[in-house]
Amino acid sequence: MAKKIVVDPIPRIEGHLRIEAKLNDSNVIEDAYSSGTMWRGIEVILKGRDPRDAWAFTERICGVCTTVHALASVRCVEDALGIDIPLNARIIRNLMNATQVTQDHLVHFYHLHALDWVDVVSALKADPKQTSVIAQSISPWPKSSVGYFKDLQQRLVGFVESGQLGIFSNGYWGHAAYKLPPEVNLIAVAHYLEALDFQKEIVKIQTIFGGKNPHPNYLVGGMACAIDPNKDTAINIERLSMIKKIIDDTATFIDQVYIPDLLAIAGYYKGWLHGGGLGNYLSYGDFPETSLADFKTLLWPRGAILNKDLKTVIDVDPRDAAQVTEEVSHSWYTYSKGDGKGLHPWQGETTPKYTGPKPPFEHLDTDKKYSWLKTPRWKNHPMEVGPLARVLVAYAKGDPMIKDTVGLVLSTLQVGPEALFSTLGRTAARGIECKQTAGFMRHYYDQLVANIKTGDYRTFNSDRWDPSTWPAECKGFGYTEAPRGSLGHWIHISDRKIKEYQIVVPSTWNASPRDANGNSGAYESALKGTPMINPEQPLEILRTVHSFDPCLACASHLFDMNGNEITSVKIV
Amino acid sequence: MENKACCWGEALLQWAFSFRFNQTTCIVKYNRINIIGLGNILYGDEGFGVAALNSLKESSAFPESVHCIDGGTQGVYLLDFIESADAVIVFDALIPLDYDRQVYVYRNDELPDFIHRKMSSHQMGFSEMLGIAKLHGKMPEEIVMIGAPPKDLELNVGLSHELALLLPEAVERAKEIINTWLAEV
Repeated sequence: MAKKIVVDPIPRIEGHLRIEAKLNDSNVIEDAYSSGTMWRGIEVILKGRDPRDAWAFTERICGVCTTVHALASVRCVEDALGIDIPLNARIIRNLMNATQVTQDHLVHFYHLHALDWVDVVSALKADPKQTSVIAQSISPWPKSSVGYFKDLQQRLVGFVESGQLGIFSNGYWGHAAYKLPPEVNLIAVAHYLEALDFQKEIVKIQTIFGGKNPHPNYLVGGMACAIDPNKDTAINIERLSMIKKIIDDTATFIDQVYIPDLLAIAGYYKGWLHGGGLGNYLSYGDFPETSLADFKTLLWPRGAILNKDLKTVIDVDPRDAAQVTEEVSHSWYTYSKGDGKGLHPWQGETTPKYTGPKPPFEHLDTDKKYSWLKTPRWKNHPMEVGPLARVLVAYAKGDPMIKDTVGLVLSTLQVGPEALFSTLGRTAARGIECKQTAGFMRHYYDQLVANIKTGDYRTFNSDRWDPSTWPAECKGFGYTEAPRGSLGHWIHISDRKIKEYQIVVPSTWNASPRDANGNSGAYESALKGTPMINPEQPLEILRTVHSFDPCLACASHLFDMNGNEITSVKIV
Repeated sequence: MENKACCWGEALLQWAFSFRFNQTTCIVKYNRINIIGLGNILYGDEGFGVAALNSLKESSAFPESVHCIDGGTQGVYLLDFIESADAVIVFDALIPLDYDRQVYVYRNDELPDFIHRKMSSHQMGFSEMLGIAKLHGKMPEEIVMIGAPPKDLELNVGLSHELALLLPEAVERAKEIINTWLAEV
């Protein structure tokens, strides 16, 4: 009989990101529904405020994506007010953004995603000697001795014995979908710990430029940090050399740990090419070499791909009311002109109207409205955003670095380009991109040093700081490619105050429910056709959902003394 | 305990939080104390931890060894603030074992640690950080969680009346603990 699996992260708050999957008799996913909460009231908080303060509020939306909302916010206000930022400010923002992506991808791979492929308990059975041989065969990374792996293994044994499985009590250990030999599992666990230790170093770049971290300072018109090579309190020679060291160490870690691990793990899973999904990819682009408006100079190109057609990259304009729209035919909102009619964010409406079952409930009525996420569409197409979308757009546009790295990954794994359209492809794209952004960090560091050497210390353009210089009415669009995908902020300033503010976040694209035409969103589509070994332990669902790096509303970081399970699985 | 703090990061943090106190040369129990406020200030009582931190900062003058960090909802990115300190106080809104609306204080082994199955990096909470710090072998010598159960988690900036009433007690409990940590040995 057909079964339905429900995976719901936080049982006491319904619908954070809930996946309902229908299985056929052979336990293959026939259909899937994604339901979630988005940030659905930022405009309530921002309405009437000074646009120059918006970044400080939007920065608090998301705990993991840190600086990306601040960046998109200052960009949209600057766009509305016609502010050009100084060259140093552009370089520093790019450097901070590249740093954010690099760190976030690294943490995502090891902390969230690796345990979908790596069996921690199997690592206990590894032979440290053999582990050392394998580690040294795939990378020159120095921490690879027999003693190193033996010590780690003993530490793990201690943890596992401390009470059932101690801190790892909640995994699907021993699941038949795990394919790595114990030695590769042990290498991955070692690097899981090393990566979490190392990412603390990367983030120091945000502290140097943003004054503090978390929540670094941004500024409409530039950046709040002063540059003076000879001053203690400014970005000086000492801080710059510190940044250079962090950048060098980051590139080494990506090249010698992340990429070799990714390739080693992927080699065992290349027969598992499920999770491709829509085949439609969107990127707003990012990393401007000149002004943001001149999107031809973006190092991450802008464009859209439909139906996996890598020969055609279609131009994208998020300002165009006919291109980026959100509708609410399956979302708990109501629109004044009809729920199925897509509205561009500048015309956006946010009127919640919950019509779902009263929590706690068994399952959603997915024929009707079933999500707090709106349904963003590009020219009416559901789109995937994120690393795979960006890498494919760059690949299709012939970006030399991406072409080379993608080619290297494919030839190492002995698979063709069609393998990219999968969960594993998404995971590989994130690693490829991380290597690229580590390179961007060095690129922007060199740009910054070269510009400072010319005697240019400017980081702030104050021409339009004073609201009396602003037009009575104006609209702006700010974008960035966050680690998880395309992020847009749209603002309407009236009488020097925020009149409307709309945000379309990456996970709303990827986790969106069906649209009025019945088209599935990216998660929903990616899950279809996936065979499940054991529906009680839906490791395959987590794998594919995790490969998108989902962003949930950060409403609840309550500390639960009961240590309650935070993701529940029910078969109904 | 080895000094894991990084000098420039420390200098910046000290500057950012502008704590000034007469430099003393006495020997204290802990050389580095981190006070972390957790929570999302945009969701009412979710911001209790950050509000408590700010209130503590405004009403106290600590020596330079005490660092106050507005951690927001940063999860694992706050790992360094746990691992770099000898002793840590964390303010947070919390769900206690029993359920009276009052201030709760939990110490060291009373705090649960785990690495859960999860859907998103956003689910990485404080318990996960404790789990990882233990795996790294870098737990502070003492760690204390001070918090209260929220009443209102709706979208707005500011605490509910009930939680605002509990704020002074939470701050007072923290001060008592910090003072014992700062006492000469």
